[in-house]
Amino acid sequence: MSTTLTSQLGGAKGDWIRCPNCDASCRERELSSGEELRCTRCGATVLQFTGRKTLQPALALSVAGLLALVLANSSPVLVFSVAGRDQSGYIITGVRELIAQGYWPIAALVFFAGILAPLLYLTSVAYVSSACCFHVRLPRLVDLIRLSEQMESWNLVPVYSIATVVSVVKLRMLGGVQWEFGAQWVLALAVISLFVQQTFNHRLVTERLISMGVEP
Amino acid sequence: MKINNKLRVELARALVVTAALLYIPSNIMPVMTMTIVGKTEPLTVLGGVYELYDSGLPLIAGVVFLASFVVPFLKIAALGWILFLHGTPRLRERRNALHHIVHKVGSWSMIDIFLLAVLAAVGQLGSLAAVTAEPGAIFFCIVMISCLLAAEIYKPRLIWETTTT
Ligand SMILES: [Zn+2]
Repeated sequence: MSTTLTSQLGGAKGDWIRCPNCDASCRERELSSGEELRCTRCGATVLQFTGRKTLQPALALSVAGLLALVLANSSPVLVFSVAGRDQSGYIITGVRELIAQGYWPIAALVFFAGILAPLLYLTSVAYVSSACCFHVRLPRLVDLIRLSEQMESWNLVPVYSIATVVSVVKLRMLGGVQWEFGAQWVLALAVISLFVQQTFNHRLVTERLISMGVEP
Repeated sequence: MKINNKLRVELARALVVTAALLYIPSNIMPVMTMTIVGKTEPLTVLGGVYELYDSGLPLIAGVVFLASFVVPFLKIAALGWILFLHGTPRLRERRNALHHIVHKVGSWSMIDIFLLAVLAAVGQLGSLAAVTAEPGAIFFCIVMISCLLAAEIYKPRLIWETTTT
């Protein structure tokens, strides 16, 4: 769900703030531990108790994710063999092969959802959360928050990892298949991506940024 | 502002209609051809599912069937319904919840495209094996992207818009 930064920026307690989902005005109030402020019209979470939570887990996970992304792309994921001949495949091999066959729109989609979007997502999360953790006013923070919001739903590595499992099953009926080093990093990246989405809380980011004096 | 919203609704409707029209060819036409040791086999999305089921893997067959056949259909139906009721006050909560679900599960149809990419990557063994993409894959991509864009353009706040467009 995309929420705009401006709609999340509430002022002093008791102000009217906009629901990020439906634009309705909601009255802001002080929240206690574990409490949530929900929109009275559509039920979306407008405010969350953030307390002493930090963005350190998001920073650690996104850096780990970037490392996994590099490793997943620098070694083959699978090796397929028929009658003594074999071929190994990297994530990018599929993209190249689809271009060679003239299906560049599909190649572009695979490249974007499987490599570029995860890279942009994890980089923007790492950038924003390190700014929050170390209290540094890095340039273009607001743009990068927006980028992380847009890329979140396009990081399809979890889907890719399932597709690899299905392809192994399919290929096993036809010849020999072997998992390679890259496969475990694809899986690691998929799991890390899901955890990053849980820990990189947009409301928390906004609060930390306001306390640092960054306003869009 | 009002014109902008009206345009959003029109665009989203056009995208859903496109997706609905191409849903049929995307499922009838083969998405890839697999040639293994001289045996050429064009594979449709459902053909691939049946093959998995037939070889004793009902769970994986189920996942692929859901992600690539049921999800796109439900997405088109859900978005169509949401857009049909645009501007009326009826069942807003339900439309809002449905929009959420469409947004959450929308990208799972990519499983088939990734599958094609993985198979094409390792399935190039000269005369022994060849995996080639087929036009059906393009239709499949258009259906998926149209739905994604429609859900992106028709934001949930438009469900709650009080003035009719
Ligand atoms: Zn709301």
